[in-house]
Amino acid sequence: MNQPSTNPGSDNSNMSSNDQPLQPVTPASGVNNRVKIVVATTVMLTFISYWRAAAIVLNDLASSAFYAGGIAEKAVGKSAPWFIVGVMLFSFAVRAVYVESCSMFVRGGVYRVVKEALGGTFAKLSVSALMFDYILTGPISGVSAGQYIAGLVNSLFVTMDLHGWIPKAMHSIFHGTPQLDVGVTSVAVALAVTVYFWWENIKGIHESSEKALRVMQITTVMVVILLGWSALTIFQHGYNPVPLPTPDNLKFSETALGFLKGSKLPHMFGLFGILIAFGHSVLAMSGEESLAQVNREIAHPKLKNLKRAALIIAIYSLVFTGLASLLSVMLIPDDVRVSVYGDNLIAGLAMNMVGPEVLRLAFRAFVVIVGFLILSGAVNTAIIGSNGVLNRVSEDGVLTDWFRHPHKRFGTSHRVVNLVVGLQILTILLSRGDVYALGEAYAFGVIWSFTFNSLAMLVLRFKYKGKRGWKVPLNLPLGGKELPLGLASVFLVLLSVASINLFTKSVATISGLIFAAVFFVIFSVSERINHRRMAVAKAEMKDHFQLMQQESVDRNSMEIRPGNVLVTARDYNTLRHLRWALERTDTDDQDVVVMSARLSQFGDAVYDLQLADVFSDYEQRLFTQAVAVAEGFGKHISLLVVPAGDVWAAIAQTANQLESSRVVAGLSSKMTAEEQAFFLGRAWEALPEPKRQFVFQVVNPDMSTVSYHIGPHTPTMKTEDMQATHRLWLHITREPGMQGLHHHDILTEALRRFGRDFSGEDRALILRELQQLVDDDTKRTLVPGAGLERMSEMTSIKSGTNQPPE
Amino acid sequence: METLAIFGVHVLEVMFAVGLVGSVIVVLVTSVEDVQELFGPDEPAEHKPGER
Repeated sequence: MNQPSTNPGSDNSNMSSNDQPLQPVTPASGVNNRVKIVVATTVMLTFISYWRAAAIVLNDLASSAFYAGGIAEKAVGKSAPWFIVGVMLFSFAVRAVYVESCSMFVRGGVYRVVKEALGGTFAKLSVSALMFDYILTGPISGVSAGQYIAGLVNSLFVTMDLHGWIPKAMHSIFHGTPQLDVGVTSVAVALAVTVYFWWENIKGIHESSEKALRVMQITTVMVVILLGWSALTIFQHGYNPVPLPTPDNLKFSETALGFLKGSKLPHMFGLFGILIAFGHSVLAMSGEESLAQVNREIAHPKLKNLKRAALIIAIYSLVFTGLASLLSVMLIPDDVRVSVYGDNLIAGLAMNMVGPEVLRLAFRAFVVIVGFLILSGAVNTAIIGSNGVLNRVSEDGVLTDWFRHPHKRFGTSHRVVNLVVGLQILTILLSRGDVYALGEAYAFGVIWSFTFNSLAMLVLRFKYKGKRGWKVPLNLPLGGKELPLGLASVFLVLLSVASINLFTKSVATISGLIFAAVFFVIFSVSERINHRRMAVAKAEMKDHFQLMQQESVDRNSMEIRPGNVLVTARDYNTLRHLRWALERTDTDDQDVVVMSARLSQFGDAVYDLQLADVFSDYEQRLFTQAVAVAEGFGKHISLLVVPAGDVWAAIAQTANQLESSRVVAGLSSKMTAEEQAFFLGRAWEALPEPKRQFVFQVVNPDMSTVSYHIGPHTPTMKTEDMQATHRLWLHITREPGMQGLHHHDILTEALRRFGRDFSGEDRALILRELQQLVDDDTKRTLVPGAGLERMSEMTSIKSGTNQPPE
Repeated sequence: METLAIFGVHVLEVMFAVGLVGSVIVVLVTSVEDVQELFGPDEPAEHKPGER
């Protein structure tokens, strides 16, 4: 882990050719009696465009537009929007730091970068701060969504009451116009959203970039309407000026000064006051870390696309978060802006546009829907992100394998998800729906993870000797070296803001320090326990297995013959399908490869899969069990570990690269065999040429199987057609000189003549006859189960049941 | 104690001011590069497994 040069840090490193020789990790002596495990270190990803990458990050980053403005104004007064704009402009510089880190490490997130630069202790500290950020992202987003919903419902009640649509009985029950308790409603909404995404993450439903893109498209529609309507309103009704961000215009609230409350310091120095105000606005750029996590999935040319994604993110955030904050002060009257709309500022903007009330209410409802979508997305991102970070440190040996124990049914790291969601639920309950308090605490994690990251990058400028695709500008050449003035500048701003926040955000400092300390202790103790266990596991593993590292899957270097059988394995308790495959395969003629795909989404741990990572308890059990099954049959198997962004894409790519004739899998707990075949077929369709067809066999728990052809294949022939071909063959071979004729020659000639007739005058007749066949087939398939045939037509064809198709 | 606090405040102010000036230059320099990135031509397409 500590040797950067071994990591796929360059843009195209994960795409290097397959002819890289295997690198044995253990000494050659005593290797012969051990089973080889080939570890592919490159994650098999489906790459995404920079637009999709930007959409994923913006789902987190742009969500802060819904609450950052209100929180900042409560803290520093009416000039807060200028500080939000300032922070968003500064985020362009922070983005540059992340681009540089991603150009060095494919996943240039805080843990990896800090560990490389400052070592394990600082890495654990920075991850603790990042966890605090992630744990709070969920509650603040969920509670904010609740604030928007409660605000809308209460506003609707008021409007309905004005029109006399609320029954008098309701008045007497509520002692006036019915109103929801905003705090309680916000907590209830946040809990509901969190529990929903908890279950989704336990099930391990894969979140696609498609969804993120759709959410951002809807959000963009809202932003365009918001800006256009605001411009019209300003043009017709004018606007309130936003006080410039000068020390005189700063009106700190009592809570905004934290430990400095009562001190003259914030008022003594002008720039110091501005620094404090900047610190209260910094949460507007939370979410930049997601850029590092999504980097690995970005398509070629990676660095260029990363920069494009980062630029889109920065511009979008500046326009949305910055302008929305400015417009709220310009258009919402002072007497209601903080008191009524402080926690749902964009809804307040909608209600203060020019135009009929019904239109404004409709737009507010649209704002609430968009807000709910993007904020809920941020809740999910927080769970996925923190799950990914904890898995990452777990795989690095910092957390024990207990945390990574797979869910019995779904195979997900349920204990980590439970821990994260448990902490989020506790935070939601403790906050009692107070977005301001959550925002204050949230800024702690945000600023410190940025600060650690930039410090580490600064250190790496002198320490790191590997490839670096891009550098933060402003580097002064001095005596053969470079002084990274630009990077140092960004670090200085972040460090000064983080330092001042320690004094002005008392809640954040106390809660953040306690949280970080608890996590740091857990990490440290857990790492010690793990080191002892890992030493034993490593020794056992080395006795039985020989690990071979390979950049990508290559059949020749694995010494696997074409036409092999690829068996997928996930859970060591369910290897029935391996038994089934071994029973039916003569391994002298056909190799059997057992493949374990380590699934990861963006932000997940396996992005930096190192050889040592497979030494974990879990993998050892899986491989030991697989070898035990093979030994039971007296047959040889090959073992392969493939990190994967999408499990179906990984299976399809591996089968293609190994030139497998069959892929054997157990029945999924989450989907039917038909669905499994459908997803694999779809992944196969997405593969680039050249690609090979193969048969996919799903083994049911009762050992019956269903087989599907993946890709174009020999059509299933009817018995009468086969007999007709055979009869023709018999007749023709009686002719002189025709003894060498094959059945397929007849089909070749028949197809050639058919093609000629179809392009000639018989076309209409042929079509009529084919139509008749289609009609007959349709009648036949109007029976239960016929849908499968049609679905299969798209990507895979079911060829039979209970028997291998050979 | 107050002297120390004031000294600390000055240090933070200098860090913040110097850092801001440098960051503004970073943003200005990168924005020129950004325009080229966003509107510049792509490198020739390369065949990538699984790319979509």
